[in-house]
Parts: sequence; structure tokens; C-alpha cells
Amino acid sequence: MLKLVKKEFALSVHPTGLIFLALSAMLLIPNYPYYVVFFYTGLGLFFTCLTGRENHDIDYMLLLPLRKRDVVTARFVSTLILEGAQLIMTIVFALLRNRLISEGNMAGMDANTAFFGLALIQLGLMNYTFFTRYYRRPDKVGSAFIFTCIVCFVYIGLAETAAFAVPFVRDVLDVPDPANLPAKLVVLGMGAAGFALLTCLAWRRSVRSFETLDC
Amino acid sequence: MTVLKVEGLCKTYPKFQLRDVSFSLERGRVMGFIGRNGAGKTTTLKSLLNFVHPDAGEIEFFGKKLAKDERDIKQRLGFVSGGVEFYPHKKLNAITRITRSFYDNWDDGACAEYMRRFALDEDKTPAQLSAGMKVKYALTLALSHNAQLLILDEPTSGLDPVSRDELTDIFLSLVREKGVSILFSTHITSDLDKCADDIAYIRAGRLEAVGELDGFLEEWRLVQFAQEQMPDALIPLLVGCKQGKREFSALVRTQDAQKLPVPTENVDLETIMVHLEKEGEVC
Repeated sequence: MLKLVKKEFALSVHPTGLIFLALSAMLLIPNYPYYVVFFYTGLGLFFTCLTGRENHDIDYMLLLPLRKRDVVTARFVSTLILEGAQLIMTIVFALLRNRLISEGNMAGMDANTAFFGLALIQLGLMNYTFFTRYYRRPDKVGSAFIFTCIVCFVYIGLAETAAFAVPFVRDVLDVPDPANLPAKLVVLGMGAAGFALLTCLAWRRSVRSFETLDC
Repeated sequence: MTVLKVEGLCKTYPKFQLRDVSFSLERGRVMGFIGRNGAGKTTTLKSLLNFVHPDAGEIEFFGKKLAKDERDIKQRLGFVSGGVEFYPHKKLNAITRITRSFYDNWDDGACAEYMRRFALDEDKTPAQLSAGMKVKYALTLALSHNAQLLILDEPTSGLDPVSRDELTDIFLSLVREKGVSILFSTHITSDLDKCADDIAYIRAGRLEAVGELDGFLEEWRLVQFAQEQMPDALIPLLVGCKQGKREFSALVRTQDAQKLPVPTENVDLETIMVHLEKEGEVC
């Protein structure tokens, strides 16, 4: 697995995949729809897969002593590493933001514990929609990304609307930490479980598609 | 020892069908895989490694099935399909470094030797290489992990005659010294005349002939004749009749050659292929 990760970061991952991690600092913007920050991870993944197509990344991997499913696994692992890194960085910037700015986020959900649970679901949805389509037709990476954008922004729209319109979200979840921490921790746990479930399902379906694909 | 065994390989595309392809390759032998463009050579080779998903058929490498032992089998074989087209803007040394990490038997000495022999500069990128140099780099990667079987899809296309000759010499030395087996698809049949032991000839998705190259060549004779020299009764003996500038040419089976009123001559692989592709055309 280490070899696959090294290969991904040495040859395949597009520089924007790493550069976009710096956009985690957007959590320092006082009023902003913070879910958008996580969308950039998906954009970096799109660039990686797009340049992968132009660089014949899959053709190269198929020549290596790997199973066909390992090609899929490599991309999932590198994506999970980037998503994990982004999650850590956004948590750091959220803590910093809450220390520097006392007011809540007027443009959407506060950067609090519940927000990260809901952001994990967003990442899980992005993984599921992008990968399952991408590995059906790696040459049609653009259509996989457009569909992911639609799903992602519908989710962001619903989540941000809920922060204004749904009393439980508005009054219990969309308040600065540490208020209502037990409820927020439940949301975080559910978000983590949802992320894990969606990503595992995405991996299984992607492997199944890719193993029957003619390359 | 059989290093590759293919039984009943089938693959259907909307406009092409690979039908019941079966052959085997023994250790230390070179098999030429010939056929015109679109005959099914690349589809066959890609199906062997599951790049293309076959509809039916059994494939065994070293007595093992690819589905069960994909990693182990790929450790023991090298596949080259044209030149290196991957990562055109990465330096060769970066690609080599990553590639070597996946192979248990990677030989740094062999890699350096092939890089030197092919005059490849490891600080260059594939985008900076000519078509021929890209093929050489692809071969360097395939030859540097002590593969026991090389599957080469048109490896000599794009190479100059000197490089092609050098390459066939390398193939022969690998076969003689290390017992490597090679399955070698090409249009340039003169390369096969030099190094192949066996031949597999595919036409329109079906294997027309498989066997020893010498036997295949001995099976046919070439006859060249003016139309009035050939009695109508003997025309059914002719295969793949072709009209030249002044005369016709056709293949005839060796056992029928005596029946013809004109002399016949030995044929090379290219002549057989060109005429067999015209089989069915009447003089």
C-alpha cells in the first residue's frame, strides 16, 4: 500500500490537490458558507483524474504487478489522505477562527463540531457520486465531475438553508461550541459513519465497474 | 514448460469479434503474432492481461490463472504496447524510481545497461523523446525486472533498422541466456524471420495458423505466372491471387506445387501474409 501511495503522490496527484488544502484557511473568513471549502477537495480530485487521463495514468498502473482493483484502491487511498489532511487543517482553522472572532457565521453554519459531521457527509457524497461514475468511464471524467458538483451544491444549499429554516439545526446545532455539545457530537458521529459508509460503498461499486471495464 | 496457455478466448465488440483464439507458448521460445491492422492482435494481447475483459476463454500464465494470481504473474512478465505515453512531463528517473519499487526482482544494473545501450537520458521526460526512444524506454522498463515472459505489441514500430536489429539481438540473447519467452506482435515480419520460433497468424478475429515458423513457411510456395500459363483447372489450387505489373502471383500449398506448369519459389512471412489476406479473390 505504501508503494501505491508513493506512486500516487509522485506521479498522479495534481498539485492543486495539495494547494487546495491551503484553502482550509477560508474558515477564517468571518461570514462564509464554509461547506464550499470542502468542495475544493473534489475539484483537486477532478484535476488529478483529468490529468490522469491525459497522462495515461491507468495504462501505466495496469502494467505494474497489481490487481486491477488496486488501481482503484490507490486513488481512494490518496483521496482519503487528502480529505483527512483537509479535515485536520479545517479543524485547526476553525479553532483559530473561534478564538479570533467571537460572532457566529452570519452566512451559514458555524464552524463547530456539528458542522464537521455535516461536512463529512458532504465528502462522503462527493466520493460516492464522483468515483462510481468515474470508474464506469474514466475517459468521461468531466461528466462524473459535473454530476458531483450538482449533488454537492444541492447538499450545501440544503444544509445551509437548514441552518436558517430548521429550528433544531438553527437553535441547537448552529451555535458556537461548546454549547449543545452532546447533540453536536451525535451529528459528528453520524457524519463520520455516513462518510465511512458512502466511501466504502463507492469503493466497492468502483472496483466492480473497473474490473469489467475494457481499458 | 508452458508459460502461456490460451484456450477459446472470445471477445465481442459491436463491430468486431475475437473468436475462439487458442495457442500456447513454451519456455525459451519466441512466438510472432501477425495479422493486418484490426485483425485482433491488440485485443488478444490486452485480453491476456485482463486490460480488456474477455467474454469467454481460459488463460494461464506459468500454470496459474490471472484472476487468482494477478500480482504474482505480473511480477514475472513484461508488457510493452508501443512507446511510453504515460506521464509525458515527468523525468524518466522519476518514472523508473516508482516503477522499480513495485518489482521484487528489479535489476538496477540491467536497467542502467539498457538506458546506456539505448542512449536514454534519465533527466529527459517522455515528451522530449522521439517515438523510437519512447519504445526503447518502454522496453527498458519491461526488461529490467527479470521477466520470464515478454508480451510485446508492435515493439519495433517506429524504430530505425539499426535499432530494430539491435532489439532482435537483445531478444535472442534473452531467450538463449535466460530462457525468456516472448510473444511478439508486429507488422514488420522481417523481424520475425530473424528471431521467431513459432508463429500465430490472426485474421478477422480468428487464428488461421499456429505452429512452428519453419513449418509454416514450408507449407507454402509462391508461384508467379502470366494468365495464359495457368490452366483454369489448376486455379483452385492457388491461394490469394494478386495481379502485379506484368504477371499474377499466388500461394500454392507445397504438396500441390508439382502440379503447376510453372516453377515455384520459397516464400517469406510477409509474402504469405499478403497473399493469405487476399484469399478468396479470383485470378
